[in-house]
Amino acid sequence: MEKVGIVGYYQLKPELDIMMSPYEAIFTAVRGALDSAGLKRKDITTVVTCTNDYYDGKTISNCFKVEAGGAYMKDETKVELDGAHAAAYGLYRILSGNHKLAMIYGFSTPSCYFYEPVRILELDPTFDRTMSVINPYTTGGMQMRAYMKAFGVNEEDIAKVAVQNYKNCSKNSLALPEAKKPDISVQDVLDSEILSSPLRRLMYPIPCDGATAMILAPERQSLKITDNPVWITGMGQCQETYYLGDRDLSISVSMEKAAEKAYKRAGINDPKSEIDVAEIFGHTSCEELILAEAAHLSEKGKGAILLDSGPALNPSGGAMSAFTPCASGLTRLVEAAKQLRGEADGYQISGAKKAIASGQVGFCAQNNIVFVLEGGG
Amino acid sequence: MPLPAYIKKDYKRTRTLHGNWYLMNYKYKFNLSRTKVFLKGLKEGHILGLKCRSCNTVSFPPRLICGRCLVMPDQWVRLPETGTIATGSASYDTNDKNRERPLPVIAVRQDGADTVWLHNMPKDIDFHSIYIGMPVKAVWAKERTGSWFDIDHYDAIEDPAIELNKKEQEK
Amino acid sequence: MAHKVQPAIISCGFCEHASKRSDVNMAELVNEAVEDCIKKANIDWKDIDAVINGNMPAFEGANMPELWMGDHMAAKNKPMLRVTTGGTTGGSVTIAGYYSVASGLYDMVLAIGFEQQSCGDTTVGLASVGLGEFTIFSDLGYTIERMRSNMGGGAAIGIASYQAMNYMRRSRATEEDLARVVVQNRRNAAKNWWTHLKMPSITIEDVLDTPYISYPLRFGMVCPASDGACAMLITTEEKAKQIADIPVYINGVASYSNESAILGIDCAGAGQVDPCEQLGAMKSAEVAYGQAGISFPNKEIDYAEVYSPFPNQELMWVERVGLFEENKAPEAYQNGVTALNGELPVNCSGGVNSTNAIGASAMERPAEAALQIMGKAGNQVPKTVHTALGHGWGGSINLITHVVMSDEPQRKWR
Ligand SMILES: [Zn+2]
Repeated sequence: MEKVGIVGYYQLKPELDIMMSPYEAIFTAVRGALDSAGLKRKDITTVVTCTNDYYDGKTISNCFKVEAGGAYMKDETKVELDGAHAAAYGLYRILSGNHKLAMIYGFSTPSCYFYEPVRILELDPTFDRTMSVINPYTTGGMQMRAYMKAFGVNEEDIAKVAVQNYKNCSKNSLALPEAKKPDISVQDVLDSEILSSPLRRLMYPIPCDGATAMILAPERQSLKITDNPVWITGMGQCQETYYLGDRDLSISVSMEKAAEKAYKRAGINDPKSEIDVAEIFGHTSCEELILAEAAHLSEKGKGAILLDSGPALNPSGGAMSAFTPCASGLTRLVEAAKQLRGEADGYQISGAKKAIASGQVGFCAQNNIVFVLEGGG
Repeated sequence: MPLPAYIKKDYKRTRTLHGNWYLMNYKYKFNLSRTKVFLKGLKEGHILGLKCRSCNTVSFPPRLICGRCLVMPDQWVRLPETGTIATGSASYDTNDKNRERPLPVIAVRQDGADTVWLHNMPKDIDFHSIYIGMPVKAVWAKERTGSWFDIDHYDAIEDPAIELNKKEQEK
Repeated sequence: MAHKVQPAIISCGFCEHASKRSDVNMAELVNEAVEDCIKKANIDWKDIDAVINGNMPAFEGANMPELWMGDHMAAKNKPMLRVTTGGTTGGSVTIAGYYSVASGLYDMVLAIGFEQQSCGDTTVGLASVGLGEFTIFSDLGYTIERMRSNMGGGAAIGIASYQAMNYMRRSRATEEDLARVVVQNRRNAAKNWWTHLKMPSITIEDVLDTPYISYPLRFGMVCPASDGACAMLITTEEKAKQIADIPVYINGVASYSNESAILGIDCAGAGQVDPCEQLGAMKSAEVAYGQAGISFPNKEIDYAEVYSPFPNQELMWVERVGLFEENKAPEAYQNGVTALNGELPVNCSGGVNSTNAIGASAMERPAEAALQIMGKAGNQVPKTVHTALGHGWGGSINLITHVVMSDEPQRKWR
């Protein structure tokens, strides 16, 4: 795979109830990304948006966002999954050679709807939706139980992941203010409200409003725009089967396949030692471990090791820092790019050379996408 | 020193509204900063358009973002009361069983503006007499409250182009 | 630069379209089209590298249905992308398929567009295009009576009637001209196996006898709401030559967006003063023809499928995409230029006017155009088709997709 450069990005500061209209939020993110790269609107050749009709409360959610996204008279399209999937489509468009600069943005405002009930509409309408047993909380609980049972992990180990994320959030200036908890302890997590046994409230990120924009450009173009681009060298994606009963929830087949494909394309043989930073988007703290293990960053069931050694797991705070539907995966990608550029103020991993970032949709991370990023101008 | 009131009340910039869709409750947020000035202008009897300093496009009603330049326009300009019909259609009242009196719905381009808005003409106008490019004039509501319909409707005015056409045809 | 990949269509599959496919659920409906497509290409489903799908989620009340329908789309343990852009969904999915192959990352991509409108409420789905805007309008003092009359009869037909007014004024087209388009489409549809409204003996008088929905559009001129799905296999030039007798190379794609018509962002006015001007369509056409190396579309294109739920749009689009001179389309339809055995046949599949499964419609256009080149279409034109066009529109007439294909690959300048 040819290298594609990330030349600019912008994250809107996430808030629980943002005082901005959708168009204003998207405009701020897109404008910010253009300004960060020193580009003009006329330089954009294609715009890939990521919004969701159900998360926006209207049909054809990209229809009125043309002007705000800088897509007036530009090749525009919408991916209705995670922001990272939109980045993948932007990548295809750049790699095809038809486009020189791709603007990608993801946006959603969960303060305008109830995130968990709306996710029920993702379910099979005949059986799962009518039974009303499956929702983001119960699937998180089932997954955590399966993981703990399969590898003999206890709740404390998973609570430790949440604690580390909250501590990382407090160093990240663009993290959700409510998630900044520098003094949190494992006991606090285990004492928090139970959502679905054994999943606790503090192991589950808070949906928040936000928008993230990112600019991709081909290799030659990137070097003209910036001295310090971040290269996407590999990408892998996979969707596994739907029924939870058909899947082994303690592992993630789709993430494994996606990561293997991404490593192969990027020429990485030993991810454990080659990767410095991993920005994994997990819906729960436990899912974060499962996905990190599936990405071969540690052995199965030993994911908690990553908190002390090996690749740095979610130095930005991960999904806990900014869990915006439609933008989380894209935010992970931007956070990984920040680490490689040395722009992660306050939570910089020194000497970070290679990173991975992941995005996902579906219950128990059914559809995963992994990017391998490399720094260096 | 206490902060001035308008800085503290930043939330006034955005309004959140409730709506329903597919059994789900949604809220819709929208930016008031331009709309407020526009409505206040209407209340005072001014027709205000918003001009983009970069491309000189005037939007009426004001748009938050100029899509051509990707900036937020902020220059207000006074517009005349006249406009032209950009397009139109007839709407039949479903309660009116005979379907005799369609309400003319028109998209009006205010003179000096580059965008159109949907408005009405009075019911007693024959819909088939409406044509594209027809000049119209805003008719103010009796009581202006600072709402969208402070301009109650648009009324037809004399079209000099018709006279010119006739003269040309006579030649 | 590494070598660039030339994508090609090798097979297109359809399911039977009807107003209510109550015999199948959405997943089975999609599976019918997918199986038809894979069977015709004579490959195994395991050969497919990636799947791209799309529909209009609001119509069935299912968000991201490909998550639970994945196994019916031959997508188990494969990359899956979802592209939805309203009416242009099918076209956008085709274009996404093109880019997936052109990027060099995948060799064989299955693109799927589907819609089962009988599951949900299409009017609710369409009205909620501007639901946020309507909510805001009511806050600005828009009374419910005014809103009902001004937004008139649902989003698509409301805009279409404004557009029809403008087109008829420009081109002096009459209602009879509109009815003639409908008659041509419905009669063509009767000869195509998968279409919805088959009316082999409809006449212009029959159409003009029906009541108005919104002037100048009559009940008999408007597209139906169908259930249906369409699938398409896109692969590289090398593989296509091995698999298909006549591979159809996709030479140009574009999807340029304009400002919305009639309604604007946050209730501000619309940027498209004249909804039949269609800058976006003209720009898309220009770019796609440029990629395909077509300088004279009216001479070089042998067959066109345009997305026209309403007859006035068919007349308008064929002009805007450069197939006819401005305001000359009604005359061409009158002279039979666009008929099955005419010089430039248009919408011989019956068009969207006869079958509208919204998420699939914009994909059925390039799919039918490809089948005409392969010589396998349900209503095959007698002449040989070398270059064809598939077009789509969506949103508030502001999103356009444009796919130009040919039976020989275009060596690109880059
Ligand atoms: Zn401007």
